[in-house]
Amino acid sequence: MTLRLRKHSFADDETLMMAIVNRTPDSFFDKGATWAEEAAFERVRLVAGQGAEIVDIGGIKAAPGVEIGVAEEKARVVDFVARVRAEFPELVISVDTWRAEVGAAVCEAGADVLNDAWGGADPELVDAAAQYDAAVVCTHTGGVTPRTRPYRVEYDDVMRAVLDDTLGYAQRALDAGVARESIVIDPAHDFGKNTFHSLEVTRRLGEMVATGWPVLVSLSNKDFVGETLDRPVGERLLGTLSATSICALAGARIYRVHQVEETRQTVDMAWSIAGRRKPARVIRGIQ
Amino acid sequence: MIERSGTSSGREERAAVSRRVVLIPGCLALLPEYGSLTDPVAELRAAVDAATSWLGEEVEIVATDQGRRVAEAVLAARMSNDADTERSVLVVLNGSACRTEKAPGFLDGRAEAFDESIRAALVTPAPQALRRIDGGLARELWADVAVLPQLAELLTGPGADARTVSVDHDAAPFGVQYWVIRWEI
Repeated sequence: MTLRLRKHSFADDETLMMAIVNRTPDSFFDKGATWAEEAAFERVRLVAGQGAEIVDIGGIKAAPGVEIGVAEEKARVVDFVARVRAEFPELVISVDTWRAEVGAAVCEAGADVLNDAWGGADPELVDAAAQYDAAVVCTHTGGVTPRTRPYRVEYDDVMRAVLDDTLGYAQRALDAGVARESIVIDPAHDFGKNTFHSLEVTRRLGEMVATGWPVLVSLSNKDFVGETLDRPVGERLLGTLSATSICALAGARIYRVHQVEETRQTVDMAWSIAGRRKPARVIRGIQ
Repeated sequence: MIERSGTSSGREERAAVSRRVVLIPGCLALLPEYGSLTDPVAELRAAVDAATSWLGEEVEIVATDQGRRVAEAVLAARMSNDADTERSVLVVLNGSACRTEKAPGFLDGRAEAFDESIRAALVTPAPQALRRIDGGLARELWADVAVLPQLAELLTGPGADARTVSVDHDAAPFGVQYWVIRWEI
């Protein structure tokens, strides 16, 4: 199925890099490196130059911390979205928010995608997406409260739970009027999951792909990679790329990433191994 | 490039062109199953397409089994064909694969002269010279010339001289000598 992110359409054999742009002072990976607006804008320029099709702009870190209200979140992202829209008309703009009010404001400013990392915590977010013909990312969190860490969460079958919740969310989005070709599902590694859950979800990602909905994975430098390899933040790229390969082989379409070029090469390689992408230029042995 | 009688009569054109023969190399990169995002043989492919489009609808293939696959693929992919031609032949062969250090068969100092002898005989064309090509040396130089005797027969023709219409491609970009040549007989 063709994927449409508002005015941007992508064929079903295309993979997309979604580059993370944090308008936060305290996100786990960049630790505030793009908190200042100019720094964030430089980050957009950088990742666009590296070939990212999407930027995912976030105004609140996922981890617990200082409460950020709607007004503050909007102050961090709305005008920034408008500026990015003006300078990069061909770039897909996603905003990482669970709040409908923020979602509507960023869509008004030109955002194409509402990336709800918190599994539909605000049920009206899909209405905002529908109102602006924007796309929505439907994640699984197991129903946890936004910005909370998993604690003794268990599932009889974690992938069954992921499928039930994301497909249910997708149906709610459809019912609200979001276009079928603009709905994406995401297992949400680490969200409402321990490392064993995230590893299993990675291993069984093909079950999500088999639903026919385009699948987004957000693996980049996360704790499940760090715990699996016993590596701190900053030393998780190889583990991230290994997990990325597994997801690409399964058929994930969108990759939310810190490192665009490394992930692009990894996905292209896996996608070619899977037979979904031609190699760049082959002549060895077939001259 | 193609000489015609100057009349609009298809019958008279057919009388002027009894047979068209095209030579292409057995380069596997021409096969669709070996396609890349960026075509490494774009120039060769364009020359092959132009030359095979010059052939008629019904084309006899003269090639090894592997060369036949290439021939069938390029014929299936060609942009058009000249239906006025009574008989067309597509021959698949190529020169040495030992032209450079990066070549499949590494560099062999004899390869360039060997290919030049074939090239001269093809371009003239000189069927007798083609018949004299050393098959043993061809194998040592990884040249795909198994159907050279049949090409020589074609170019000899039944009491008619073959005429070289064009040399569309003559290069060894990957250490393998390719030719794309058209003849009328």
